[in-house]
Amino acid sequence: MGAVGQVVAGRLGGEWRRLVRRHGWTVGVWGLLVLLLLWYAALIPRFGPFAIASIAKNSLPTAYLAVSQAVVVIAGGIDLAVGSMMVLANCVSALLMEGQSFGTTVLIAVGVVAGATLLNALVGWVIVTSRIPDIIVTLATLFVFGGAALMVLPSPGGGTSGGLRFVFTGSTSGVGSNYWPSLVALAVPLAVLAAWLGRTRTGLSLYAAGSDPNAAYLSGLNTRRAKVLAYAIGGAFAALAGLAVTAITATGDPKFANAANGTLNSVAAVVLGGVALTGGVGSVIGAVAAGVVLFILKPILTAMAIDPNTAQVIQGLLIIGVMMVAGLLELRRRRAG
Amino acid sequence: MSTDLNRRTEEVAPPAVARERAWGRLFSDHPLLVLGGVLVVLVLVTGAIEPDYLSLRGLRNTLLLAAPLGILAAGQTILMLTRGIDLSIAMVATASAYVAGNQSPNGAGVAIALALVVGSAAGALNGVGVGVFRVNPLIMTLAMAGILLGLFTQWAQTFLQGSTSVAPFIRTLGGGSFFGNRVPWNVLVWAGVAVVVIWGLRRTGLGRMLYAVGDNPEAARLAGVRSWQVLLAAYTLAGFFAALGGLLLAGQSGAVDLQLAQNFLLPSVAASVIGGTSIFGGVGTYSGTILGALILSVLNSMLTFLNAGQAVKQVVYGTIVLALAWLYAAVTRRE
Amino acid sequence: MPPRHPAPPHLGTDVSQRPPLLEARGIAKRYGSVVALRSADLTVAAGEVHALLGANGAGKSTLVKILAGVIPADAGTVRVDGAQVALRSPAEAMRAGLATVFQDPALIPDLTVEHNLRLSGLEPERIRPWLARVGLAGLDLGAVVRELPLPVLRLLDLARALAHEPRLLMLDEITAALPADQAERVFSVMADWRAGGRSVLFITHRLAEVLRVCDRATVLRDGRHVATLVPGEGGESRLVEAMLGEVAAVTAGPARAREGRTEAPVALEARSLTSRGSLRGVSFRLHRGEVLGLVALEGQGQDRLFEVLSGARPYDGGELLVDGRPFRPRSPFDAIRHGVVLVPADRLQALLPQRPVRENLAAALYNRVARWFSLLRDEEDRVRRVVERLAIDVRAQRQARRLSGGNQQKLVVGRWLVGGFRVLLCFDPTRGIDIQTKEQIYGLLRELADEGAAVLYYTSELQEIPLICDRVLVMYGGTVVHEQEAATADEATLLNAAHGLQEAAV
Repeated sequence: MGAVGQVVAGRLGGEWRRLVRRHGWTVGVWGLLVLLLLWYAALIPRFGPFAIASIAKNSLPTAYLAVSQAVVVIAGGIDLAVGSMMVLANCVSALLMEGQSFGTTVLIAVGVVAGATLLNALVGWVIVTSRIPDIIVTLATLFVFGGAALMVLPSPGGGTSGGLRFVFTGSTSGVGSNYWPSLVALAVPLAVLAAWLGRTRTGLSLYAAGSDPNAAYLSGLNTRRAKVLAYAIGGAFAALAGLAVTAITATGDPKFANAANGTLNSVAAVVLGGVALTGGVGSVIGAVAAGVVLFILKPILTAMAIDPNTAQVIQGLLIIGVMMVAGLLELRRRRAG
Repeated sequence: MSTDLNRRTEEVAPPAVARERAWGRLFSDHPLLVLGGVLVVLVLVTGAIEPDYLSLRGLRNTLLLAAPLGILAAGQTILMLTRGIDLSIAMVATASAYVAGNQSPNGAGVAIALALVVGSAAGALNGVGVGVFRVNPLIMTLAMAGILLGLFTQWAQTFLQGSTSVAPFIRTLGGGSFFGNRVPWNVLVWAGVAVVVIWGLRRTGLGRMLYAVGDNPEAARLAGVRSWQVLLAAYTLAGFFAALGGLLLAGQSGAVDLQLAQNFLLPSVAASVIGGTSIFGGVGTYSGTILGALILSVLNSMLTFLNAGQAVKQVVYGTIVLALAWLYAAVTRRE
Repeated sequence: MPPRHPAPPHLGTDVSQRPPLLEARGIAKRYGSVVALRSADLTVAAGEVHALLGANGAGKSTLVKILAGVIPADAGTVRVDGAQVALRSPAEAMRAGLATVFQDPALIPDLTVEHNLRLSGLEPERIRPWLARVGLAGLDLGAVVRELPLPVLRLLDLARALAHEPRLLMLDEITAALPADQAERVFSVMADWRAGGRSVLFITHRLAEVLRVCDRATVLRDGRHVATLVPGEGGESRLVEAMLGEVAAVTAGPARAREGRTEAPVALEARSLTSRGSLRGVSFRLHRGEVLGLVALEGQGQDRLFEVLSGARPYDGGELLVDGRPFRPRSPFDAIRHGVVLVPADRLQALLPQRPVRENLAAALYNRVARWFSLLRDEEDRVRRVVERLAIDVRAQRQARRLSGGNQQKLVVGRWLVGGFRVLLCFDPTRGIDIQTKEQIYGLLRELADEGAAVLYYTSELQEIPLICDRVLVMYGGTVVHEQEAATADEATLLNAAHGLQEAAV
């Protein structure tokens, strides 16, 4: 009895340790997010549905971009063009949706997502065919998509329907206290994607392609297809980010700085979220949490009456600090092991 | 995958086949010939669009642009050889330009020296993060860019408010010309950088170590190389070159602002890649990067002559960078 | 060595009536100017265990990779049951009924076992019986592959291949990292497979295993088919003859008389060296002018000993002395500074694949900052002398990865000749190298020793010991259990000691 109990306890202990080791980072990032939210709640005078709705909707673009980048990085790539894809989707949708009915704008939204999916699948195809490093190809497409956005919409403008604004922001005017639609707009595609990645053969093949393309190929998987697929999904989520921007601001803005910032934040979110840039490790769930963490730092620091530029400095220091600690831990683990 | 195949038997290809492959071999062994060809074609095409272009005076504008780009790309090339990259290069350049602007009243010498010191220091910090703490270079330099942007945006409104113009000497260096206003001074600076970098990569121990650390970090370690030293040196050099590029840009535009070097970040990477430097380390030369910088600058002139708007420029630019990278990969790939 | 049983006679039905299960004809493959396979033929009948043999570099691995659909052949045809098949990808090979267990397990390191199985299209329920069959019934499917030991991965890979129920099971060196009991299990699986009318293609270096479990053997040499034999008829010597051809076994002549070595000063001395979990008090002396052999089975602490000596890892207890002075290297640089240098097991670890021969050879000259600011004036001279001394083929010198394996290994050894050293640590330096280069390396090491260098030489091939070593140590369970003069060391004694069966031999 005692011995059996010990074995079971040992196994449970092992199970627990393993869960912690495998998902510890994700749980940690979510914990950090909760802490920051609580801190924010304590900081501002009136924390209520309005504040929650504001965070929920305004963090949508960052969160979508984090997912987009995470999928690509998991499959062993990196997409520096996610930001400009977002801007392109934002400009195209704002241009086409201006003055349209809700039904039409939904159709346009579907079309924009489909178009971005195909376009990024093409990028993925170019990468696997040309064998040029991902970072170079997507650096080029960062230019191309950014330029295309400028061609579509040379200066800020356009609009969208109230209904579409409601879908992403919870209010037809874009400002309100209903945070559920924003949460649903993020949670539903995220849940579908996470389940697909972790449970289906094709989804797992993305991890395989990123973890060890050689072993994946030897076990009969089509790694090229997996990578193209990852870029396609990344394109879809970047388009969602663009649509969210359209819904939040009711305009399209082709500014290149938006694209660059979007990409930078997505890469930072992915790394903070526990997705290894070497591929095959991590989850989209962790990346989303890290994306929101990065977003929420600014309102918190603003609430503390800290200059937004100082906030940017703090954000940078935080990222470096976390990565240095992670690097040191890894070094120690290797020394000990 | 082919690594554990025991290749035992060597055979020399029969001469008939060899002749057939001669051209392909020439290009794959000397890919810079192809790049040179691309450059010549681009210059001629631009000349066809704007006949005035084919003169020293016409080429002057291209060179004026190419020099700072080439100098920024020198840092990028050095880092890419070590499997690194520097996304803070534009912000470091801008920051150094501000320092130069701030110190210009104390004389050009002091201004230049301090700007170079600040740039090198920022680079060294990147080097500590990447080399000692093993932070991914993408993340490290990205965060560095964010920090510098935050700091200088703030300072630009406070104590750097009056630091937007640089000393006349720096202005001459960055934008002036000699030889009857035909050859820009900054090309002379670039030539100096080129000599030092090409010689340094080929003929110094540090150059050897940069290639070694990038080609196979484990092998470098086994040969007794302490990679953190090499990486620290590489990132410091990149910071130094970024500062130098920033100085020339500030001199060229005559004024310093936060967007000063922004448009040079992506081209600095593109110039290295087009020039054949592998982002995976261990392969590449600065001569290739020089050609890459020239190609991108000629392209820029051409698009300007065509009156292309910013949007079209960006799309064409990106597409051509991709096409050239593809061309390079196709030419040099050999079983 | 396991006992030899004569192979049982053919169990299948009359083979000549049916087309063979697998028939490969005239398979050729070249990489650039290097020919891996000239024209390989292989016929495997239904219901047999077929060995594929050949010296290193004969083309075995290339042939298996072609049959597995990993690399395309330049020429030749493959028929399964008489029908020609195209093998353009591993998936296609699997559909044709060919499943392979490669030398390196084809498992995704960052995923769990269960995820890996699902990736191969296998539901856990379907693979359970196969896991039990290979002795992994208790395996935790939630474990991450990266954290499992190599033998488990091999067996897991085998179970996965079995679950596809292939007509032909190809096993590439599967027994190399397996303990004896697990190897037995693999043999029994192979026997089952044959009994079921299916076949096994078995690639191994261990001739005893071939004699025991294989019905027929195909021998490749220089990328060509040279013979198909029944291993039981004629025994080991016939197989060896076919594998080596006229180049009879290694012929470096018997050890010369080497007197006075043990009076020479001690270059490297270990006194009860310990390292957690691996070394339990290792003591030995390595004299100048001596090649000291080291023999051990897999995992007896020899890897750790080399790591400690080369500065990759600190030691916990005991003492190390170099030239009589305490030696506690904290990094490879530290060890190199003290003149202790390493030629690692995998030459690709130490190679700069994209750099030219010269930079590879000179790599260790610039590992200190003081040397960064120029090149050594005599670098070219030093490099040229080493290239000449080692007879390095410099035709493809622009990139080291284009050199043959032997020339690559010469670069790795030559680097230390350019840089200078006192103690040379060689970890299985002749693995996967052709005989000619092997002999050159033997000759070189002897020369170096005669010039006063001290060499510690670990090898997995016992025949090498009397050829180049003066003395030999045997490690077992983290300590040195046996020491003797190399000239008198026969394989049986060494093997006994390596298995921990110490006779009163010291």
